[in-house]
Amino acid sequence: MARSGSGNGKSLTARVAVVGAGVVSPLGFGLSETFDSLREARDCVTRVGRFSVAGCRCKTAGQVPDERLLSKRHEGGRARRLHRASHMMIQALGEALEQEPQFKPELTVIGTTSGGMSYGEDYYRSLDRHGSLRHAPTWIANYPAQKPVIDALEAFEISAPCQVVANACASGTNAIGHAFECVRSGRYQRMLTGGYDALSELVFVGFDSLQASTPEKCRPFDQHRTGMVLGEGAAILALENLDLALKRGAHVLAEITGYGMSTDNFHLTQPDPSGVGPRRAMERALERARATANMVDYINAHGTATPFNDAAEGKAISELFDRVPVSSTKSMMGHSLGAAGAVEAVICLLALQYQFLPPNINFCAPDEDVDLNIVANEARPMALRTVLSNSFGFGGTNASIVMQKFEA
Amino acid sequence: MRLAIAGMGWITPFGNGVDPVWKRLLRGDEARAEEITEQFGDQSYTVFRVPESALACIPPHPRLRRASLISRFAAAAGLEALEAAGVKPDSHSAERTALVFAISNGGVIYTKRFYRDIVGGGAQSASPLLFPETVFNAPASHLAAILGITGATYTLVSDSAAGLLAIKMAEDLMTNEALDYCLVVGAEEADWLLCDAYRRWRLLRLAPPVEPFAQIGRGMILSEGAGAVLLARDGPVVIECTHAGGYYRKRAQAEEILKRVLGDLSKTEIDFVISSANGTFIDQAECRALKRITPNAFVYTVKPALGESVGAAGLWQVIIGAQALRYSELPPLLHAGPTIPLRISASRIPMASARHTIVLSCGVNQQVAGLRLGKNS
Repeated sequence: MARSGSGNGKSLTARVAVVGAGVVSPLGFGLSETFDSLREARDCVTRVGRFSVAGCRCKTAGQVPDERLLSKRHEGGRARRLHRASHMMIQALGEALEQEPQFKPELTVIGTTSGGMSYGEDYYRSLDRHGSLRHAPTWIANYPAQKPVIDALEAFEISAPCQVVANACASGTNAIGHAFECVRSGRYQRMLTGGYDALSELVFVGFDSLQASTPEKCRPFDQHRTGMVLGEGAAILALENLDLALKRGAHVLAEITGYGMSTDNFHLTQPDPSGVGPRRAMERALERARATANMVDYINAHGTATPFNDAAEGKAISELFDRVPVSSTKSMMGHSLGAAGAVEAVICLLALQYQFLPPNINFCAPDEDVDLNIVANEARPMALRTVLSNSFGFGGTNASIVMQKFEA
Repeated sequence: MRLAIAGMGWITPFGNGVDPVWKRLLRGDEARAEEITEQFGDQSYTVFRVPESALACIPPHPRLRRASLISRFAAAAGLEALEAAGVKPDSHSAERTALVFAISNGGVIYTKRFYRDIVGGGAQSASPLLFPETVFNAPASHLAAILGITGATYTLVSDSAAGLLAIKMAEDLMTNEALDYCLVVGAEEADWLLCDAYRRWRLLRLAPPVEPFAQIGRGMILSEGAGAVLLARDGPVVIECTHAGGYYRKRAQAEEILKRVLGDLSKTEIDFVISSANGTFIDQAECRALKRITPNAFVYTVKPALGESVGAAGLWQVIIGAQALRYSELPPLLHAGPTIPLRISASRIPMASARHTIVLSCGVNQQVAGLRLGKNS
């Protein structure tokens, strides 16, 4: 890809710093708990209790516990009406802003796939049963995909406009990538970005109907993998022009140095088995980062554990890289769809900060068809400078970002 | 960076094609309202639907065989925009073209069918054929496949500000000189479930007319279709500046954001404003902001004629703004009361010297955005 054009006459290729981050996922509330779960290789997938899974093959998902997430609901008022997704976004943004209380973004770009879907389900079921529709205005008002983003911005009195990217499972990485390009082009100095998604019956049953989800353990890149499990969560990154961040003495968590995306038009739900889509996204991200494949120390793979995804992604990785350590942290927390790319970007931040390889759990036997160096079952210490994170989605959307340890 | 409209495509309840739809607007036509019912009860609603005949323009493609209406609308508009610009979708142009898709409610018809099966027959009844079409980016994926686009493809979700936010994103993408074009498409399909939801939220009236800028907003009528603009470096109408606007917390705050957006966009003399007034609470907010910031500009809204197409609405407004600049004329504003304190006209208005217009979108779900178009000199 060519470099950015002029952005209001400002810097053509500004460096982009991550100056704040927040996360909530089945791995934990906040960076510290997330790091602990990664280090201890916890399996955070549990039986679904939020809705009936009686007719589904898959019975499990990575879930954010309501007793902690919704504790503020007891305070009453407006918080009680908000969707779980809003609470997750508020939690993640709150943590990011604790690190950067004065952060004033010009624009917010957030990924999601299904907004407040469960409120849509409540509304439909009430209509269908001819039940009470007393709460319908609340369900309807809190259903739109932009609502949890606005709720979070409002909670911290941030007035920046927002764009909500819905590129299926690549949404989070696409949102971060677009925000990165905006800062890099010099058109923007500060942006908030990330992704969110909350588990819902419709989406859960949807993946089950495609037989993409598994009744067994989620085993990315394993020879005996049988599919994905779903997850949920939210993660936020505060991005800033590096020069400006340093000038005001901000603590730089890492740099984002590259972003690549591609669209493979093979099939609405299946990747091109040649791996051309993922490969193009990774190549473009590396090119944008002015990096070569051998400079990458770790890949946080999309790694859903479906036979098709892992075969195509594994092929692309093994063709492009030489035995780079790879893991899919979805093995521990499930696939959080629109949040996945953002949560995994935070995991990459932690890997760079604490110099370790996050684990790919439930791994028993390597897939003989792809030559990958899987970080099997345990976190490992490792000197990391450059990492790459992949997200691929329905519609043939493929996105990769490159992150780098900040060295002054 | 220079950004211009090189081609446009339009499919509406008036049918398809930018010029035929434009002619009907100039004539003062109003779309035919269709009554829709659903299994849930006796309540019927009215919508402005795209006529079946308008879909005949879409060439057959395997991706559209089972695709939802919204995907077909998008294909019709997108292909027309490319054709109008003289761009043939081939591997060269596809590499250098990005796609940004604006959407609000998405593939609601298939989503409802999919969930109805789950509620009625349990998870075992869920259709694996329907589920992929429920995903927000399914229409964009189909269109990308039809056009062979292999690079950037984004779907943006919002209220009726989605279209202008998508153009804002396209502007950011086009700073990349590797791109020659960005196709921005907004699409929506109408359904009983949406009507019921908006009605319960007191935003929908049961039957036309839609009365813009009325003191008491009696509500909107939903419509469907798609609009597309192909953005390039040059074209007869230029996007002079975009504004990502912001969000309002309470309805009463919408006016302040609208004033800010209008103020930022009206640094040059504005000849007319394409408003998003749709018969709801947003009309009064827009009315007060327009009266204060651009008192001399003519104001037009298409929603009394064609309804509220939500995700497609912003693109429709941009097409109207561009057409009015090109042909130096504004269509008549339908169903406007006599006491509206704005420059409006119930008949066609010649705009021979018009150079600049603002397109303003205030969505009912808290988002506001705007942009300014100019005649390319």
